[in-house]
Amino acid sequence: MPTAATYTCLVVEDSPMMRQLLVLALSRLKNLKVTEADDGVDGLRKLAGGKFDIIITDINMPIMDGLKLVKRVRSDPTHRLVPIIIITTEGSSEDRSRALQLGANAYITKPIQAPQVIAKVKELLKIEG
Amino acid sequence: MSERKARGARKSDRPAADPLKEKRDAFLHTFFKRGAQLTDEIVEDNRKLHDKIESLEAENRSLKTQLASDRAIRDALRKIDELEREKAKLLFTVEEKEVVTGQITNRFAEVESELESFAYLYVASFQLHLTLDVKDVLRQIRELLGQLVGAQSSALYFHDAERRRLEPVVADGVGLEKVAPIPLQETTPGGPVEVAIERAFLTGVAHVDGSDGPLAPAACVPLMLGERALGVIVVFELLEQKPRFVTVDRELFKLLGAHAAGAIVGAYHFGTSHERIPTPAELRGITG
Repeated sequence: MPTAATYTCLVVEDSPMMRQLLVLALSRLKNLKVTEADDGVDGLRKLAGGKFDIIITDINMPIMDGLKLVKRVRSDPTHRLVPIIIITTEGSSEDRSRALQLGANAYITKPIQAPQVIAKVKELLKIEG
Repeated sequence: MSERKARGARKSDRPAADPLKEKRDAFLHTFFKRGAQLTDEIVEDNRKLHDKIESLEAENRSLKTQLASDRAIRDALRKIDELEREKAKLLFTVEEKEVVTGQITNRFAEVESELESFAYLYVASFQLHLTLDVKDVLRQIRELLGQLVGAQSSALYFHDAERRRLEPVVADGVGLEKVAPIPLQETTPGGPVEVAIERAFLTGVAHVDGSDGPLAPAACVPLMLGERALGVIVVFELLEQKPRFVTVDRELFKLLGAHAAGAIVGAYHFGTSHERIPTPAELRGITG
């Protein structure tokens, strides 16, 4: 259970530009500490080395894509309950359904709007205000 | 038997009474009867007067109550007037506050939007100038178009001065081999896409489609190096979930139009010069 003051977020995104934009947007949440990962494998490595309250991941990434990452996280007893937000350019309803079926909690399409991402993170972490 | 009784007994035994006495008795009888009647009448009048007084007193009380009630109503009406005035004042104040709140809300939304634009521009500029590797610069431009603008398909053309045409250098969402070069200043450069691209290059003025419809191309942004156009970035289509360009896209296009060509040329020369860094003396020579 996170303390009242601090939450941790893992951002898994292969595009440095999008990653920087996400980190910049999330920096507006004062009590959120963000860790970055380049792809799914790097994401799993970071997950193994720490505890996270929320994961934000892209779908299309080299080595391991976001959907595989969601599957792996949901089958991992340590992290299976961690909320996952998918952020992707894939806007079709099939992609959305698939991601949600695999266990993602939210699905946001690119190009992102920072307030939308912040609102979803706050909702999933139950952060007031 | 007493003497009086004896006398009475003797009287009744006497013959018919004296007429005077009878008259007297009749008179007395009439007199007393009348007196009784008068007394009854007086008693009746008195009772009526008493009733009248009671009625008047009741009426008086009622009038007093009514008067008090009227006064209370007048007071209540005065109070209602005051309250109505107070209510009008409060409503006015509330309306004023609502206007102010609306202005603050709008301003907040504007600031939010500006913050978002700044964040996008900061990230785009930061990433564009982070590298002096041509491949990376081109990748950043493609990412900017795909991830930040939401382009489904796009291409970057560079000017081939010798062959007088715009040559596609990179493309996303469409095969590079399918993107044809655009000859410049020939009779007809082709369809509307080619016309728009050529016009953007020759005039140095960007074309950004403002409609919701699937027009092609969605945007043509001339790549300027100072006053000189070196190429054009073309967004053919936007992603399905992005119906139209938004304000920040136009800002990103301005940034690309002003910075992308310089970043590409600078990176190219840095690469071909084997990453040679100018010496301070050389820089002084140039600035001096």
